[in-house]
Amino acid sequence: MAIPIPVEINHIREKGLVRITWEDGHVGEYPKDYLRGYCPCAACQGHGGGIKFVSVSNAQLAEISAVGNYAIEFCWQDGHNTGIYTFEYLRSLCPCPDCKQSDGPAEK
Amino acid sequence: MGTIGKDVVLEALKKVQDPEIHRDIVSLGMVKNLEIEDGKVAFTVELTTPACPLKEKIQDDCRKVLAGIEGIKDLEISFGAQVRGSKSGAGQTDLLPTVKNVVLVAAGKGGVGKSTVAVNLATALKMHGAATGLLDADIYGPSVPILMGVKEEPKKIAVNGGFKLVPQIAHNLPVMSIGFFLEPDQAVIWRGPMLGKALQQLMADVQWGDLDYLVVDMPPGTGDVQITFSQQLKVSGAVLVATPQDVALADVVRAKSMFDKVMIPIVGIIENMSYFICDGCGKRHEIFSSGGAERAADRFKIPFLGQVPIISSIREWGDKGVPILVQDPKSEVSKVFLEIAAKLAGQLSVVSEASRRAQALKIIST
Repeated sequence: MAIPIPVEINHIREKGLVRITWEDGHVGEYPKDYLRGYCPCAACQGHGGGIKFVSVSNAQLAEISAVGNYAIEFCWQDGHNTGIYTFEYLRSLCPCPDCKQSDGPAEK
Repeated sequence: MGTIGKDVVLEALKKVQDPEIHRDIVSLGMVKNLEIEDGKVAFTVELTTPACPLKEKIQDDCRKVLAGIEGIKDLEISFGAQVRGSKSGAGQTDLLPTVKNVVLVAAGKGGVGKSTVAVNLATALKMHGAATGLLDADIYGPSVPILMGVKEEPKKIAVNGGFKLVPQIAHNLPVMSIGFFLEPDQAVIWRGPMLGKALQQLMADVQWGDLDYLVVDMPPGTGDVQITFSQQLKVSGAVLVATPQDVALADVVRAKSMFDKVMIPIVGIIENMSYFICDGCGKRHEIFSSGGAERAADRFKIPFLGQVPIISSIREWGDKGVPILVQDPKSEVSKVFLEIAAKLAGQLSVVSEASRRAQALKIIST
């Protein structure tokens, strides 16, 4: 099981992004609108399979918490908190140039 | 002849490895209370579990490496145990801060004897000297109250404006079951949210006290309860119970894929109903074939913890509310459970090393 684990999740409010540092040393900076748009919950993604970007303008990130051993929950200021981002999914979302060249988001 | 320095002894002891964690006992901090006086060397090896199956190996190894040091006339090695927590679930509020290890006893399907295994594993861990509790989360068929002979509802006490449930003590084990809150003989026909609420109470509102191990009897399958546990609790690991036939493999695969997704390590597989020794002819009958669970363990590189035979006394005493280990601790099957519990405890010590990396997750806001 080679799913990488994040070691630090830093919500940098000033820049409106979340910086994730992974166990293997990789660092990715996720703009908050990007994170919100790729929320994996059923309300955002429906049940059709495949991941799409659902744009939410000016989403504000309220809180970040860990879920069990495997995921992160982002709680938004509009009360939306149903998205559970598994580590694997989060890593596949990484927007850095190196990752973007490979595949897009994995299955949720 | 000069005095022996502590550093010399510690340096020598660095050659002794914990056989399970594969690191030396000095850097693991297991060597305590080292005292040297007039050539007499005394220290305590603090094991990671009182159920440690490898005590003698460690003792032998210590004696061997110290034999090379000149001037040691007498050597006294004592053993203690400090169970290490292996709970992961980083950056999350711990619902059970006084519990060091939470172990889920699970299976991909029903009827494999999870509850019997859970009850006897908990009893065995207790008999090895570890503070152990038993939580029955099988909402569809809670059988721990019957197997442990507990009928009364747990008491409620007021704590900080709220209330806590005090577990009943049965055969020296604190026991809590979802069954205490259900009408007898009534089916549970709850939808998700009600189920979540009940489990939340079962997880957060029980006053367990300090425990080394909390053994959780899970409902069968890969559903709501499993997800709730994996999201809300800091689980150390899961033990899978399977039967020997080949189809059991499919259930192991399913259960494994679920626990992989939620990143709960599987610390072992136990094969239940493995064989039957005929009390008439003494022959071993492999009623459901043999070795299926072991093959599954092999294939997925999961530690195989052991085979539990079919014996009617397990069932008989279970129905009377007495675990076989309490009724007949010297029996063959009791020995099997004690061995399995020791292996399980060893595996949990290994996991506790590995889970530290997951615990390192920091969530910050700048």
